[in-house]
Amino acid sequence: MKFRDYYETLGVARGATEAEIKSAYRKLARKYHPDVNKESGAEEQFKQIGEAYAVLKDTEKRAAYDRFGENWKNGQDFTPPPNWNDGFEYSDGGFGGGHPGYGGGFEGDQSEFFESLFGRGKHRQGGRGAHARQGMNFKGQDHHAKVFIDLADAYNGAKRTIALHMPVQDASGHVSTQERKLDVSIPKGIKAGQNLRLSGQGGPGVGEGPAGDLYLEIEFHPNPIYRVDGKDVFIDIPLAPWEAALGATVNVPTPAGSTLELKIPAGTAAGRKMRLKGKGIPSAEPGDLYVVPTIVLPPADTEARKEAYQVFEKAFDFNPRTHLKG
Amino acid sequence: MTQTNITWIEGAVVENEVHMTIIELSHASRTPEDLIMTWVSEGVLSPAGSSPEDWRFGGDSLRRAKTAAHLTHDLELNVPGVALALDLLEEIAQLRARLPRED
Repeated sequence: MKFRDYYETLGVARGATEAEIKSAYRKLARKYHPDVNKESGAEEQFKQIGEAYAVLKDTEKRAAYDRFGENWKNGQDFTPPPNWNDGFEYSDGGFGGGHPGYGGGFEGDQSEFFESLFGRGKHRQGGRGAHARQGMNFKGQDHHAKVFIDLADAYNGAKRTIALHMPVQDASGHVSTQERKLDVSIPKGIKAGQNLRLSGQGGPGVGEGPAGDLYLEIEFHPNPIYRVDGKDVFIDIPLAPWEAALGATVNVPTPAGSTLELKIPAGTAAGRKMRLKGKGIPSAEPGDLYVVPTIVLPPADTEARKEAYQVFEKAFDFNPRTHLKG
Repeated sequence: MTQTNITWIEGAVVENEVHMTIIELSHASRTPEDLIMTWVSEGVLSPAGSSPEDWRFGGDSLRRAKTAAHLTHDLELNVPGVALALDLLEEIAQLRARLPRED
């Protein structure tokens, strides 16, 4: 198990005041919040910040953590000494950093390090079931998970077997994580950010209550060729200078897997979008596929090619910077 | 000869086919109903229908409610702050989608 230096995570000194810790946490939480920061790694960072704050904001936990002294470094191999936390009592083993429903991780987002020291967080909101009096009926919890699909799946539909890690509470109230596999049909036309509701696939109901629902939030894997904005799809098509100037016919691959022939008119400027109506993500009102031309210069890497550029230069009296008065 | 039959679960696309009541939205976004009512009054969510009992939340209400719940819980934003953040996040997402990929 690796040691976690919570002070380093929040970027505060070991002697930081509660106010300093709170302010450092807030600043980092705003920066790395996964709803705000779409960089990869932001979510992991956010969880670590939340975990650090859960310990350092709590006087008891912080005092216990401080017992390890300052010689430990982030990432060092670590085993808690026996009875290390004698004399400390935590009012709540819970981990207050994250919000349920991120990235398919329902609970248990805290590190092994945190769990070994402070125990596994209580299943947030799971308390209702535990405290329900006999004879009460509740609908089970709704669960959320994220599913990544390819853009092609949105064009063609797809069938996916997804593995979910669900918290399961046994009779004694102990919560453990179990893997559950679901075979899900992803409908054609689904867009990034949309949610698929699978009725009755969430948490079990309490008493006679029905099971909750499972919501799958759809995201697209990053695609090296296409960009997606809602139901519209964009593709850059590189052209040679003579193709842009004289016109050409180019092959445009569509996300659905087919190829379209597209006529590039003579005098096409870089960035001048061409719309292929209805070739975006399909639906009753399908999106459009936009072809964005870019112009690529071949390298002047041999004498003959340099000469070709010189001929080019002589043929034109061309100053592309006239508007700069340069 | 063995044959394996897999039953593929069909879901409903929330944004197209589902119109949630306030109870369903509260359950799905794990948000108390009174906070949802405050969000509606601040324009964070715009359900069809005139009173909370017959409100129907369609389109991207679930996504917005989930983000609003995260921001409220994680960053302790107040309601106008959540409303502003949601609008700005939406604008950023649109602008980002139009940017050429930088790689």
